[in-house]
Amino acid sequence: MAPKGLRLVSGGDRARGRLAPRSPFLWVQLCVIGAFLLLIGRLYELQIHHGELYYKKSADNFVKELELPAPRGVIRDRQGKLLAENRPAYHVVAVPRFFTDDSLQRLAKLLHLDDEEVDALKAKVAARRGLDRFRPTPIIEDVDRDAVGLVESHRLELPGVSVISVARRYYPNGPLAAHTIGFMNQVTAEELQAARREREGAAATAMPASTAERDARLASLQPGDFIGRAGLERQWESFLRGKDGVERVVVDAKGQQKLDVDSAELIGAVSGLLRDEPQPGLDLVTTLDVDLQAAVEKALRRHASGAAVVVEVETGRILAMASWPAFDPNRMSGRLTRSEADALIKDPGRPLIDKTVREHYFPGSTFKIVPTLAGLGDHLIDPDEKVTCHGSVLYGKRHFHCVEAHGKVNLHSAIAESCNVYFYGIGERVGLERMERVALDLGFGAPTGLGLNGEVAGVVPNMALYKSQGGGFQKGSILNTAIGQGEVKATALQVAMAYAAVANGGKLWVPQLIERIEAPGADGVNRVVETFAPRLRRQINASPEDLRQIRAALFDAVNDPKGTGWQARIALPGGVEIAGKTGTAQVGNKRVRAEGTQQGDHAWFASYAPARAPEIAMAVLIEHAGFGAKSATPVTFEIVRSYLELKAARAKAAGAPPTGEAK
Amino acid sequence: MIRALRKLRAHFDWPLVLAIVSITAIGLINLYSATRVAPPGLYTQQILFFLMGIGIFITTAVVDYRRYERQAFNVYAVCLVLLVTVLIGGKVVKGSSRWLGFGPISIQPSELAKLAVIFALAKLFSGDPLDIALRPSKYVIWAVGLMGAPMLLVAKQPDLGTALIIFLIGTTVLVVMPLQIHVKLITLGCELVAGVVVALFKLHGYQKKRLLTFLDPSLDPSGAGWHARQAIFAVGSGRWSGKGWLHGTQNQLQFLPEHWTDFPFAVWAEEWGFAGCVVLLGLYCFLILWAINLAAGARDRFGQVLCIGVASLLFWHVFFNIGMVTGLLPVVGVTLPLVSYGRSSLLVVMVSLSLLMNVSIRRYSY
Repeated sequence: MAPKGLRLVSGGDRARGRLAPRSPFLWVQLCVIGAFLLLIGRLYELQIHHGELYYKKSADNFVKELELPAPRGVIRDRQGKLLAENRPAYHVVAVPRFFTDDSLQRLAKLLHLDDEEVDALKAKVAARRGLDRFRPTPIIEDVDRDAVGLVESHRLELPGVSVISVARRYYPNGPLAAHTIGFMNQVTAEELQAARREREGAAATAMPASTAERDARLASLQPGDFIGRAGLERQWESFLRGKDGVERVVVDAKGQQKLDVDSAELIGAVSGLLRDEPQPGLDLVTTLDVDLQAAVEKALRRHASGAAVVVEVETGRILAMASWPAFDPNRMSGRLTRSEADALIKDPGRPLIDKTVREHYFPGSTFKIVPTLAGLGDHLIDPDEKVTCHGSVLYGKRHFHCVEAHGKVNLHSAIAESCNVYFYGIGERVGLERMERVALDLGFGAPTGLGLNGEVAGVVPNMALYKSQGGGFQKGSILNTAIGQGEVKATALQVAMAYAAVANGGKLWVPQLIERIEAPGADGVNRVVETFAPRLRRQINASPEDLRQIRAALFDAVNDPKGTGWQARIALPGGVEIAGKTGTAQVGNKRVRAEGTQQGDHAWFASYAPARAPEIAMAVLIEHAGFGAKSATPVTFEIVRSYLELKAARAKAAGAPPTGEAK
Repeated sequence: MIRALRKLRAHFDWPLVLAIVSITAIGLINLYSATRVAPPGLYTQQILFFLMGIGIFITTAVVDYRRYERQAFNVYAVCLVLLVTVLIGGKVVKGSSRWLGFGPISIQPSELAKLAVIFALAKLFSGDPLDIALRPSKYVIWAVGLMGAPMLLVAKQPDLGTALIIFLIGTTVLVVMPLQIHVKLITLGCELVAGVVVALFKLHGYQKKRLLTFLDPSLDPSGAGWHARQAIFAVGSGRWSGKGWLHGTQNQLQFLPEHWTDFPFAVWAEEWGFAGCVVLLGLYCFLILWAINLAAGARDRFGQVLCIGVASLLFWHVFFNIGMVTGLLPVVGVTLPLVSYGRSSLLVVMVSLSLLMNVSIRRYSY
């Protein structure tokens, strides 16, 4: 039998030509068609079914996003003077992946780095992991122009090292109001990791809107970013911090920017805009008066350590807020060497602690307004009732002391002369609960609401507190509470706010540091975003008559020759008088009056001025200074004098005749 | 000669030529875009090759293919000599010796080998049909030998893609030839076993790596797999109608590797989309089906096998190239006929196509 194929070349086939209806290779042709359909199918899958995905991927290839840093908002005082601003600076940066030991040694030699600096630098480079190793990391921050020149001219010998220009936070007044303004430094590796987790977590879980905003800010953190670490810089981070912009450029496979292509068209098709403009951060206008602040700090500086708060009586706005010793926030932003940092930490004056809000003390005799109001309010004391002070009183088996034997005292003279024996009696009479109620009402025992620097609540003792303590409650505790010792603790800010309330007829304000928020406008003119009105915390539960009676006593405490503050009195412009109360906060078990030692008692002076028409209330605390009148009162007088002088000078500059204190 | 030209005009195969011209046009349009980011001068060179190719096409077409039949084994022998020479003294480019230089001209004998194998197989199977039917194993062994010798020499260079094409052409001819089914099956089985053995023991490191990466792309996302992935991004991102001529970002921004030789289809797919791909594939499909039709209508067995051989050459080139670009097949260097840049491959394709024309215009003569 002849093979089938033989027929294929027979004459018949030839005659039928190309239109042969039964081509012997039909099955081959069908195979070919099948193969082509397979290819078409694959193309359909890639181009139509997954087309958008691959389009996106091809776009990811060529779109590179460059960061456009947003300027941080500035912080001003109430006169518009800058407290924190930005200035251009240069960082030496290293790309960890390409940064060799060789580069490190050369760089150290070039810039004369000591071993400590070299170690710090190594640690920064070593802290980078994964893809961050390809990001430039600032290793020496804010170098001077000479160093910039040196590094730039030796770039070839310094693989992985370069210099970048950045905006850097600058505090023109140095340590002035350092605790209140705060400082910034670089985000840590842990924070970045947390930010990354947030970023990944945010996509997976639905979060409440309030945390979502904070997280969005956190999540946008990049290595090398600076964030506020203390004070207003930290508290208002989310307002001060701008939103970085993005510039999108077209790059080729080698990562080089292509300038000869129509970037707008290419990028427009995939990512939208060529540029997302950076949104600058918002500016803060504080209630601080930088000139008064300077005067306050100058007065404080005569002592080893202390704190002072000056608030407006009728608004609760903080004019000055100082904690001494302070630090230079310019140095804190990453420029601190290890020895400087150690010195700051070991300094017995604890410069890193904000003593106005972060630390609480026995309020001492400044607390006597509490038992007074408690007794007057419930008519438990008669202001004219006389008590004889023999210098101490026996209660149970203990002697409770007074500063001296005052003889016969009534309420007025007990306050003015600061007689403890009188208040032991009052304390016993009104009891712990009433004192607790009035203290809480005056704002003790709870944060004032300023929310700055981890403000502490202070302590107002009650039965539960004593019971929770090992020793339990002893009757003597009531006596100590009445004179602001024992378990009572208060911050300088709380004392200032309470005295402002006494001065203004019972309005307890929420202390205010931020007057308004402004957005920098394109035309250089700021637009006000929000203005904060004074916020009343509460009207305290005290009759105007009782408050008037206290004010009269506080007046005599300074202006009567028998008053505790009389000795420290100085003449003020326009004959202005101060009303206030001295206080001594016991440190340790024994009263040690040796000034300047670490065991010395803390000196208080809580006051307001002018005494007859109060404008400002103050709390001044001098640590380990012994008697309040000897140190805290003179500081207060200095502050008031500066306040009056500034006011007069400004009124003169404004062309209006000075008013108020001229009567 | 004059008679031959007249015959060419009289029996001119218009569908064949139209398909060739259309594909060539697409190829040149596409290559213009693909070579914009290539070393300068490539496009002009390709145009020159085409002009040369047209001359060769006409010359080869007018000479009656039966004169080639007489020279078939001589052509084959010369080709083997060239293949051996290139192994000994060829120019080494990228680690393999593929080029032979004759003064300013350099050729790739491996490209010629494809034609030589087609000629030799056509000559073999144009023998006595009765003998073929009675002693098929003799022919099969001869056929495998004729195909295997140049294939191994090419693989030795190494040029895996071309060796593969030679193998596929030979095997296709064997499968399409009217032989008993069990002969075909035994042949295929033996080839399969041989193929596995070669793959296991004889492949070069990079060839194995390519194969493994194809099987599991995650093995090497930035190396061997990167090119393949970028090609898929290019193809896929074309969507329905493409990004427009000269506007393919994968192409213009150089994310595609070797896009004027091995990956021009990725450029086409990116810039003209699915629509453009269907048109181009349609043209190729038509050309190959037409070649098979010509085989069916050929005057004699030599012409028939010639057409089958050319059809399989075209088919496997197209299938492997597009399969590779779209990620269906591993990346082996196989060009896309009439679209890829490359002198030797272009000339071989032109000669192959002219053989189709040659067979076509002589269908009615005797």
